[in-house]
Order: sequence, then C-alpha cells, then structure tokens
Amino acid sequence: MPAGHGLRSRTRDLFARPFRKKGYIPLTTYLRTYKIGDYVDVKVNGAVHKGMPHKFYHGRTGRVWNVTKRAIGVEINKQVGNRIIRKRIHVRVEHVLPSRCTEDFKLRKKKNDQLKAEAKARGEVISTKRQPEGPKPGFMVEGATLETVTPIPYDVVNDLKGGY
Amino acid sequence: MAFVKNQKTRAYFKRFQVKFKRRRQGKTDYRARIRLINQDKNKYNTPKYRFVVRFTNKDITAQIISASIAGDLVLAAAYSHELPRYGLEVGLTNYAAAYCTGLLLARRVLKMLEMDEEYEGNAEATGEDFSVEPAETRRPFRALLDVGLVKTTTGNRVFGALKGALDGGLDIPHSDKRFAGFKKDEKQLNSEVHRNYIFGGHVAAYMRTLMEDEPEKYQSHFSEYIKKGIEADDMEALYKKVHAAIRADPTVVKSSKPAPKEHKRYNLKKLTYEERKARLIERLNAFNAAADEADSDA
Repeated sequence: MPAGHGLRSRTRDLFARPFRKKGYIPLTTYLRTYKIGDYVDVKVNGAVHKGMPHKFYHGRTGRVWNVTKRAIGVEINKQVGNRIIRKRIHVRVEHVLPSRCTEDFKLRKKKNDQLKAEAKARGEVISTKRQPEGPKPGFMVEGATLETVTPIPYDVVNDLKGGY
Repeated sequence: MAFVKNQKTRAYFKRFQVKFKRRRQGKTDYRARIRLINQDKNKYNTPKYRFVVRFTNKDITAQIISASIAGDLVLAAAYSHELPRYGLEVGLTNYAAAYCTGLLLARRVLKMLEMDEEYEGNAEATGEDFSVEPAETRRPFRALLDVGLVKTTTGNRVFGALKGALDGGLDIPHSDKRFAGFKKDEKQLNSEVHRNYIFGGHVAAYMRTLMEDEPEKYQSHFSEYIKKGIEADDMEALYKKVHAAIRADPTVVKSSKPAPKEHKRYNLKKLTYEERKARLIERLNAFNAAADEADSDA
C-alpha cells in the first residue's frame, strides 16, 4: 500500500536529533524570553513532541505575534499558488531560536546613534548612510616584464601526434 | 597477565555521547530542573525562585536561587554552620537544625526585601500545617522547593527545612504528607509528633534511652552535647531560644578574615613539555643506575 501524506510524513531525517546530541535538551531554550515583534527561526526539536510545527515551517523565519505560557505565535510567509500568505502558527519554545537576521541592523543602529551623538557634540553634520563599494583606486603595476607572444605557423609534420 | 579482548574499541568511544557535566558528576537532576525553572513565556523576565536545600555530612545549605542563562543567581543563603551565632552549637545536621536553617533563610530573605514586618509567619512552632496568608499591600514571597537528589520519604530533614521556611513566612506550595508525624493509615499529620521533631524531641528521647541502657555509648555518641552541658530536658528550651534569636536578627554577618592572597592549590600543577621530558630522563637514569647495582650485586 502507498506511503501516505500524514502530518509528519517524510520527516525521518529532518526531525531526527543530530549525532551525539540526543536526550535532554540544554536549559537555555527554556530560559530565553521572546517579545512581540522579535524575529525568530523555527527549528524543530524532535525530542519534544508537543507543539511541533508542520515540516514546511522548519527553517523559516518569522515575527512573533503572540506569547503564551509555553509557546510563541509566529507569523511566517508561505507561498500558496500565486500569492504569499502570512500564516500564523503557534510553536513551543523548544522549536524556536532567536534569529540573528536583524543583529547586523541593530548593531549598525547603535553605532550610528553613537556617531550622530558625537557629531552633534562637535557641531558637524555627518551622513551615516551605507555606501556601496566603489571601484578600486588606480595603481601602478610593479615588476612587470614584457613578453611578446606571436602565433607560430601550423606545422603538419610535428603537430599531428599519434599518427596520421 | 592473560590476553583480554579489548571491550571498548575506538569505535565505541567515537560514538559515545557524554551526559551533561553535572549529570556525570551526579549532582543535578535535569528532569526536575527543567520543570522547576521553566517560567511562563508571558511572564517574560519575572524570576522564578527555588528554595534549594542540600545536606552534607556536617552542614546544611539553604538558598533562594533564580536561574539565568549566564548562571544561577543566589538571592540569599543560610547555612547551619551559622547557627552557633544564635546559640545552637551541636547537632547541626538534624531535623531541628534543618528547621532553624529554613527559618533563618526565610527571615533573611524577607528582611532583605523589607517584607519582614508584614509576613511574620508562625512565631509559635506548633507542628501543624501553616500556610502564609496574603497581606494587604504585597503578595508573599513565593519559592519552589528544590530537593535535589534526596529520596523524599516522610520525615526527611528536607521537609524540616521546608517547615522552617514556611513558619518564617515564605509561600512555598506543599502538602503535609511528608512531614515527620504523618500517618499514612489515617492520612493525617500528627502535629504533636511533628512539633516533637522540630524541637529535637527525638534526639532527647534517644539520649534518655542511651543514658539508661548503655551509658558508655551515650558518652561516646553525645560527647559534644555533654561537653556543652546540654541535657535531654534542655533541648526544647534551647531550640525555642534559637528560634527567637533568629527572628530577632537574621542579617548576614560578613566574615572578618581577609581573603588569602594566594589560593591553596588542591590539584597537581600540569608540567610543561620540557619538564616532562626532563623527568623522563631522570627516571631512566635512576632506573639504569639501579639496574647496574643489581647487576654488580648478583
């Protein structure tokens, strides 16, 4: 009889715990706090059976829209046909990691605020906008020797290797 | 030595998954710890306090601890080796001492949080089950009992410490099923028996029986009590005084000893590569010299 398309079908390897990481899960997963609006990654932990998201959401990142006693509501984009729907799922905290996607942005925000404050103290106006990498500056090539290469005329006798 | 087939091959070690460090040391029960620490997510950073009681061979440790990712934070601690300050010098690991330590911790925490006026707890230690009533302004200090790896049988000293903390004014969810004096047949706590244990009555009874039947064993077993001049009949009054002294001044006294400049080294220092090679050369020379002597003798 055929394989079937149940909720956890085809998740034999996806939901398996990694090598030598089976058993009790480290406690920081339970100690983390999540606020509404945070970005989180969904990564299923096969050791905890409750509150597992569907396998589609494994590896997706979304924003928190709800916080309950043991779980978090995450809003994730899913393409259905010709449109993208914002899907709201509830996931237990064991299957969620804080996302680092906004980490760069947050650091830059802090640095920019600091730079702006310093500039204000000095009385000058600075632009904190990111500039794309421009073309490299010009330079003189060192240690170049000139080697002239000319084509040699085709020599039937020597060039046909392996008999003719 | 006979040839023994190597049971634990290299393949065994490659696949071996070690348990958590504290589990390998046999100190932490992670199943219990997960359940004690887990805080509701919609309570965000509100700390969940554990009332931790641990017994060593000569001391009792009672602490209020909250968990964090960097490491657990101890809010307050009480040890039974502080009890001599309140007048109790012997029997520092019995049920009565556990009660005193729990009481000391509770009063200390409440004083630290300035709640000690509101929550007096149970000033008179009867053995009955007592739970704190919430006062008008602030809710009582809540903690969860963390027993550790102890077997929770009826009459365990851990529950003596629990009773001390409850009478001190902490809000710890509990039932009276495991207090000393609970009869499984009647499903009721005999508060007289419990009160007896809180005041060391069981120790006093043993002292009396030993004095009558085996005076020599009494001399050896209760030598410290005899030295301090404590008799079987003095026990109750002694503990009453200790409880009153604890309630009067539960604050911490910092030790006046200066911290030692150099810490004593408890394990051997690791030798460097040069030191180990030099040592090997020395040993080989010594071995050769001994072998030469043996040759010249024989």
